[in-house]
Amino acid sequence: MIALIRNELMKLFQKKSSWIYLIIIVIAVIVGGIISNKVSDEPDPNWRAGMKAEITELQQNAKNAPDEEKQFFTSEIEQKQKYLDENVNPNAVSNWHFLNNVVYPMTTLVTLLAVIVCSASVSAEFADGTIKQLLIRPHQRWAVLLSKYISLMIYSLILVATLIVAGYLVGLITFGNGDFSAKIFELAIDGQKEAAVGPQFFLKMAYYLPSLLVITAIAFMLSTLFKSQALAVGIGIFVLFVSSTLGGLIVMLAEKYEWAKYLIFPHLDLTIYALQDKILGDITLPISLAILAVYYAIFMILTFVFFQKRDISI
Amino acid sequence: MAVNALEVRSLTKVIGKKKIVDDVSFSVNRGEIFGLLGPNGAGKTTIIRMIVSLIKRTDGAVSVNGHNLDGQFKEMMSEIGAIVENPEFYKYMSGYKNLKHYANMAIKEVSDERIMEVARLVKLDDAIHQKVKTYSLGMRQRLGVAQALLHNPSLLILDEPTNGLDPQGIREFRDYLHALAHEGISVLVSSHLLAEMQLMCDRFAIIEKGKLIHISSMKEAMEEDEKTEVIFEVSSSQKAVDVLKGQAAVSSIKVLADDQFSVHVEKATISTINKLLISNDIDVYGISRVTVSLEDRFLEITNKEVRENGGVVQ
Repeated sequence: MIALIRNELMKLFQKKSSWIYLIIIVIAVIVGGIISNKVSDEPDPNWRAGMKAEITELQQNAKNAPDEEKQFFTSEIEQKQKYLDENVNPNAVSNWHFLNNVVYPMTTLVTLLAVIVCSASVSAEFADGTIKQLLIRPHQRWAVLLSKYISLMIYSLILVATLIVAGYLVGLITFGNGDFSAKIFELAIDGQKEAAVGPQFFLKMAYYLPSLLVITAIAFMLSTLFKSQALAVGIGIFVLFVSSTLGGLIVMLAEKYEWAKYLIFPHLDLTIYALQDKILGDITLPISLAILAVYYAIFMILTFVFFQKRDISI
Repeated sequence: MAVNALEVRSLTKVIGKKKIVDDVSFSVNRGEIFGLLGPNGAGKTTIIRMIVSLIKRTDGAVSVNGHNLDGQFKEMMSEIGAIVENPEFYKYMSGYKNLKHYANMAIKEVSDERIMEVARLVKLDDAIHQKVKTYSLGMRQRLGVAQALLHNPSLLILDEPTNGLDPQGIREFRDYLHALAHEGISVLVSSHLLAEMQLMCDRFAIIEKGKLIHISSMKEAMEEDEKTEVIFEVSSSQKAVDVLKGQAAVSSIKVLADDQFSVHVEKATISTINKLLISNDIDVYGISRVTVSLEDRFLEITNKEVRENGGVVQ
């Protein structure tokens, strides 16, 4: 089995594209670093005075505002007061803030690249005809497929690791080393959530991994279904975009129908649990994980059963 | 009694309601080159793919060197080296890396020396570290042979191996197969090129519409009848016919041209005719016996099949 995995990794890294994807991530992080360095203000040491002035101004406005707008002003004031009370500079910058605010959203890019590589994996062997030579070896089909899957997971993890390491280094160079546990407020559906910046970043990354696992499983399944690499990759990306768009629709649907809560889409983005404890009313993290596990098992079983039974007649 | 190199029993493949391969049985002896002949679409490729388990069998049994495909998959596949149609390779890797990839998949260890030895054997040692995308078709075919031989298989299975090879390449390939068979390796080869198979095979089977309709050794098939067709080139065929008409031993004279005619006679009669012609002042410029080709036999056999079954000729 180890020999099979080594083979698959060799093939993966002999392809130029696999290296280009890693470089794309590094470049994206560097560009992100440059841009956020340009747009972020120098942290003002007297930010508390400025914040106080802003609050007074808001209070003035609130007095003159019509009733329906009053609520907006009160919540704004509350927020800013919170920054003052907790002594959190909203404009603080550090490598950890950079990771949390700029690098974490780039996981979308990692997902996209992982989907491209996964959905091209088996379908490329079909498209090139190499699958024939691969499957006439003294190894069961499921073992060959599993070695492919494991090597893809290793590659996906390398993509994630590249993002984090590049993000940390770029952050360090651009913003300097900051306080790992500096307090931040993050906008959640039910108000502001107080968190420490470093742990919050790693929490989000941890919540990101299960969804990456499931999305790549879908891409891998597609790659065994199609003989055309282009078709498999195209549909893989399509599913990725549809799933991120459908999330919002499902939320509305779930308010009306109980079963909609068990569709895969709202659970694909678990990072929301870094901000709130429940989604869709009463769904908690363990339930979401359980739902994802069920879908994951179904995708994997379909993939392996189909591949095991398939006639190779290209 | 020694175990057959390959034993195929009642091999059947049904897709939908159509029998693609219908109850095919044959065996290949040790050190023998066995040909599967038949028109395109007769089921040769399906038979071969079922033997190497690329296509699932509907029914039937396959064993190689006594190892059964059902219970001893790994042992059996270790005994086989195969090229299924045009061998496809990972074009972005070097020939060496491709071979290394397949060597890693062997059950018995294949050393790096063995890889180079096989590369030398197929005269690819100079180009072995170049990427496969730079190889010519002939080189790829040779790399195909190399990957099939890497693990010292006892049975070589070749599906349409001469597809796309130039005459020079075909000749080299043929010589090479004979050399391998001489060393005790058995070969199962399929082709629709009859002239090629005549030179290559020791025994052959004819497959038509999924059924095995004939099996014999090439020698038997090519054995000449007592009477053969002989063509005479003479000064005047009309005069010659007049002379020969009275002869009892000479039958079925056909005038082919002004200076050519053919007769259907026994060996001894050829010289009698020659003497007769000369004594009658007819110049003889050439005498040639028409040899039977595999193609003739093939057509004979397949036509007979059509007649006997009252089948419709396609």
